[in-house]
Amino acid sequence: MSKKMHLGWFTNYLPPSWNRTFSGRAADSWASGDFHINLARRLEEGRLDYLLLEDSSYVSNTYGGDFDLELAQMARAPKNDPMPLAAAISRETRHLGLIATGNTTFYPPYLLARLISTLDHISKGRSGWNVVTGAPNQALANFGLDTDENLLDSASAHDRRYDMADEFVALVTKLWESWEEDAVITDRENDRYIDASKVHTVDHRGEFYASRGPLNTTPSPQYRPVICQAGGSPRGIRFAAKYAQTIVAIPKGVEHMREYCDSVHREMEAIGRDPDSCKIMFLVSPVIGETDAEADQRRATEMGRTDERIRQRLALMSGGEEDYSRYPLDSPLPEFADNGQSITNTFVRLNRGKLFSDALAQDNTESVELVGSPATVAERMSEITDATGGDGFLFYSGSGQLTMRYVDEIIDGLVPALQRGGVARTEYSASTLTGHLSEF
Amino acid sequence: MVNKMHLGWFMNFSRSTAWNSPWVLEEEARSWMNGDYHIDWVRSMERACFDFAMLEDSSMVADGYGGSMEIDLKYSLYAPKGDPLSIAPVLAKATEHIGIVSTASTSFYPPFLLARAMATIDHISEGRAGWNIVTSSEDRAAQNFNLEKLYEHDTRYEMADEFIEVVEGLWNSWDTDALVMDRSTNTYVDHRKVRPINHVGKYYQVRGPLNVLPSPQGRPVYCQAGGSPRGRQFAAAHADTIICAAQGVEDMREFRDDIRTRMKALGRNPDDCKVMYVVMPVLGETQADADRKYEEMKHPSDAGTEIALAHMGALTEIDFSTIAHDKPFPELTTNGHRTTLEKFLKLGKTPREAAGNWGIRYTDPTFVGTPEKVAFEMGRVFDEVGGDGFLLTGGGSRRAIAEITDGLVGALQQQGRSRTRYEHKLFRDNLLEF
Repeated sequence: MSKKMHLGWFTNYLPPSWNRTFSGRAADSWASGDFHINLARRLEEGRLDYLLLEDSSYVSNTYGGDFDLELAQMARAPKNDPMPLAAAISRETRHLGLIATGNTTFYPPYLLARLISTLDHISKGRSGWNVVTGAPNQALANFGLDTDENLLDSASAHDRRYDMADEFVALVTKLWESWEEDAVITDRENDRYIDASKVHTVDHRGEFYASRGPLNTTPSPQYRPVICQAGGSPRGIRFAAKYAQTIVAIPKGVEHMREYCDSVHREMEAIGRDPDSCKIMFLVSPVIGETDAEADQRRATEMGRTDERIRQRLALMSGGEEDYSRYPLDSPLPEFADNGQSITNTFVRLNRGKLFSDALAQDNTESVELVGSPATVAERMSEITDATGGDGFLFYSGSGQLTMRYVDEIIDGLVPALQRGGVARTEYSASTLTGHLSEF
Repeated sequence: MVNKMHLGWFMNFSRSTAWNSPWVLEEEARSWMNGDYHIDWVRSMERACFDFAMLEDSSMVADGYGGSMEIDLKYSLYAPKGDPLSIAPVLAKATEHIGIVSTASTSFYPPFLLARAMATIDHISEGRAGWNIVTSSEDRAAQNFNLEKLYEHDTRYEMADEFIEVVEGLWNSWDTDALVMDRSTNTYVDHRKVRPINHVGKYYQVRGPLNVLPSPQGRPVYCQAGGSPRGRQFAAAHADTIICAAQGVEDMREFRDDIRTRMKALGRNPDDCKVMYVVMPVLGETQADADRKYEEMKHPSDAGTEIALAHMGALTEIDFSTIAHDKPFPELTTNGHRTTLEKFLKLGKTPREAAGNWGIRYTDPTFVGTPEKVAFEMGRVFDEVGGDGFLLTGGGSRRAIAEITDGLVGALQQQGRSRTRYEHKLFRDNLLEF
């Protein structure tokens, strides 16, 4: 029998799909959080491990020098702050883990440590922090950091941001640990709420950050909320292997997925961590049909919307410094500058020799193509898990593309098929995110 | 026909010294950070048609008293305290009408982060977000944020002025009609209605635009609490509501008149900012009942004295444990809460005497009695001062909350002094209703 897999959902606080047959009116009222609260409840009914809220902090005008493509396509904006949404969702759910993205280049560490600690309290032990270091120049400029040569987009800045993140995570962890777990004593007789001898300053003075501490929140239910990471580069993998309890990964194809897992596990073993203590989750966008034939048909129709897909992909890729409007679509894919980010490099590697337009139209943010009836896809997912050494999957339907119909296809179609096969949980046995991740 | 007053509650995301009251559940003294207690609290306030809940904040564990964190943590004074920006969305989702004001410091937040968080909370609350603008006043907090010391008092306000310019620029970086959802051209947002702000100032450089749609109120309701001349000028320039901790009717009137004069000089309509006075009514079944409670508060235990002096020490960074409690005050100055220190020194000749009077500082003018009598007194003071409302404080147990929301406000409503229903959807509109 195949091993059990962990399941999660990857999305962001962007408007859901608004202009398709089954969009409904969700995009009129998404900003109130109600759409995402509904999504989270459905995920909980599917007994998923967690909802991950991706994030970014800028509106890009790289493509053609204006905001036209960016805003028409909702590639990155409007995107609301995931932290308040995570808080709101936590009170409307009881089991689902909630991972919110916080960028180490932009947050003061104390603020972030306190925010995640508070979210862990409010969710009663279900919060996680997706550690993101990526900071395109236009996002740096929103924080007055674009004057720092060391941070401007380049391969060396990419590594430097990880050096900063190393210190950032270490400091945040120290702040969480600045209260011993049993510091709150509520000794009524002596009118002592907290035993002050169990609360300590951290007196951190590092290369990038200084913070005295202690934190001013009590130890949260998980004590150290879950750390999630998505690094694909060698430096990113080293970072993830050191800190993460779960990893979001998009290596392309089974071969690369296995290599990815092997390198994470190698790095973990090298520093004495049990590889089982970090769950590697692959990003997938299954296309589900009543039958395999119907699913194939749907995939073909979807991929056949060529012009729209090209615009979507161009918008998504245009977050950095490269202005793709300079390259003719009907010419072979050019060699783009290496900015150290694995996602661009993978795109170039996989599509060498193709026409730029074809490469864009066929590109999809998923590790592996999953198309078929619920039973077919479920079986394929088990095969992949066995073949790669991965721990599970994160469902994703593209930024600004999400419909409740798609959620229902996954939660009411695919997940029950996985459950029937004994490879997905049918009931929660734990009440914290750490508990879900370490359940199997 | 009498004029209606606005009502708010000065609270924070903490369990406060009241954790040890007989009316607090043992379990909840530990688990309050899950938000259950504060949800009940704010729902009670909404039943009583309060304008808003104001979540105060600070970012430190104080150790001003005796150079140790012991007193702060023993009594739960400054810490522990949860992040107000995390509980605000939760409170917003648990209610429908009441305004939710969160405190955030211009000294510690990057402006882009704050602008985005506030806009998001305004969306989540569907137009009920408020921001209590503070510049922070404690070096201990600054030391958690890469700083040795806070910037000097007036510099902090200068930075706050520019901070507001930046966040307003960001909130205005999208025209209100930028969202077009044009199906025929598959265009969600019209890019011509969104623009960078390219702010390059003395303290901040921010490109923009914000990556959030215009929020229902455009910007959160601004709340402010500075009492110094610089603070008053700042509040007069920006605030929609001001928190004022005054002593006595004369003090209250002077403050409000001064704010209104400053607003006029700045070209603002004085009615666009509501001055809210912090009060702590002492309520009883009978007058004798309330008087007895008041006497107990006036003569606090040693613990009560210690709590008051530790509080004052944290606000002013003066170690009162080194100053004789029963001798006249020596000369004292601070880079922290200046007005608070000045007021404290006036409360008594010695630290102990001042500490005793500090415990009852918001009970005068004599808001001690039955709900009916206190409601009447509040109405009288309100008329004498000229406006605009009261900010309740205290409330460490559900019982204490109900005494206010069901007892006192019930009486205020009967006397026509406070609203019995919300007329508007947006927080700012309710605040400007009367």
